[in-house]
Amino acid sequence: MVAQILGRAETERARAFVEAQGLAFETGFDELVGVYERDALVAAGARAGDLLKMIALAPEQRGGALLGTLVTELVALGYAAGHAALFVVTRPEHVTSFERLNFALLASHGRAALLESGHGLAGYLAAHRPLVRPGTNGAVVVNCNPFTLGHRHLVEQAARAADTLYVFVVREDRSQFPFPVRMALVREGTKDLSNVRVLDTSRYAVSAITFPAYFLKATDDVAEIQMELDAVLFAEGIAPSFGVRRRFFGTEPACATTRAYNAVLKRVLPRFGVEACEIPRLETGGAAISASRVRDALRRGDLAGASALVPEVTKAFLASKDGAEVRRRLLGGGGSHG
Amino acid sequence: MTVSKKAQAGTMQSSDVMVFVEPAPGLVIEIESTVKRQFEHLIRAKLEQVLRDHGVTAGRVRVSDRGALDYAIEARLETALLRAGRT
Repeated sequence: MVAQILGRAETERARAFVEAQGLAFETGFDELVGVYERDALVAAGARAGDLLKMIALAPEQRGGALLGTLVTELVALGYAAGHAALFVVTRPEHVTSFERLNFALLASHGRAALLESGHGLAGYLAAHRPLVRPGTNGAVVVNCNPFTLGHRHLVEQAARAADTLYVFVVREDRSQFPFPVRMALVREGTKDLSNVRVLDTSRYAVSAITFPAYFLKATDDVAEIQMELDAVLFAEGIAPSFGVRRRFFGTEPACATTRAYNAVLKRVLPRFGVEACEIPRLETGGAAISASRVRDALRRGDLAGASALVPEVTKAFLASKDGAEVRRRLLGGGGSHG
Repeated sequence: MTVSKKAQAGTMQSSDVMVFVEPAPGLVIEIESTVKRQFEHLIRAKLEQVLRDHGVTAGRVRVSDRGALDYAIEARLETALLRAGRT
């Protein structure tokens, strides 16, 4: 029998079961589903947004129909909640089990593998094919929360070292500046650079799927595995379609998560023929310009201080009505990434 | 008729197919299958026949197939269409 697991006692049973299979039990899911046989839990799994996680099967039940039963239920609930495509992060040895359920492998790296249902990545690449130019191209992946003089400097430097530079703006909307605003500021702020193309990352780079730690601020082992998956997916799944042979990123003086990510990029990308190019950050007043410095200034209500660190286009946005709304939220808010 | 709301039928078990239907401006069929290379054309022909029989002219039909035989494909798609209701 398949059932949604509700209530504290049942959830605790599921936790014990999931942990007994060697997986970490994390709360923060939309649904937790269990498969029962004679009142005993034989499989459990959860869905958080479009990510399936904590998929656990009793060892004596593996290799049969149980995974199909569990995933059918999770996919059905996910579809009803509006997620046509779902992702799963699992161990490399379970990849074929999910491929048999029509999941497609996106990236596999040592200790973890990422798969998706549907033709999401193929569709994303096909949709962007008209942007692809021949040559030795480069890429930067940026959140731009918001777009600063530092980002502008990075893009300028990178554009000089590439035939076409693709600027991938992180689509994930967990930042203080909403995605459409971040995207518009980058487009407007780089439109004078003729070999720069701005596009969004969809879910395929630095998203909660490839990279939950970026948004959760953990720098443990799990975070490193996720960063490696993200780097492999970029190098193997995205870069070749765009002719990208170099990925550029800024040095990171402050944030430990971003610094760890830079180290992973330097280690992983060259193995796939993508050069990792670290560019020194632009500095003012003895400190690197970063979006978090801009947000810190806004949190203190220092609009002039923030404006000194950003290009005209961002300045204009901060002074606008929508910008005032973001500033108002920041005045009472917490931290995240740039 | 056109598909007026989201619906699904079937399972991800071996020899079955999971069918998802939702509104779309035109008729779109997307096929994922473990036997896609050998049988995609037959799966598509079956889906198109069922859609024709039901007079469906617009909607997105996505199937995740694990080697379902054609009567199973027919039954699953028909069920999904009935669940989606008709307009």
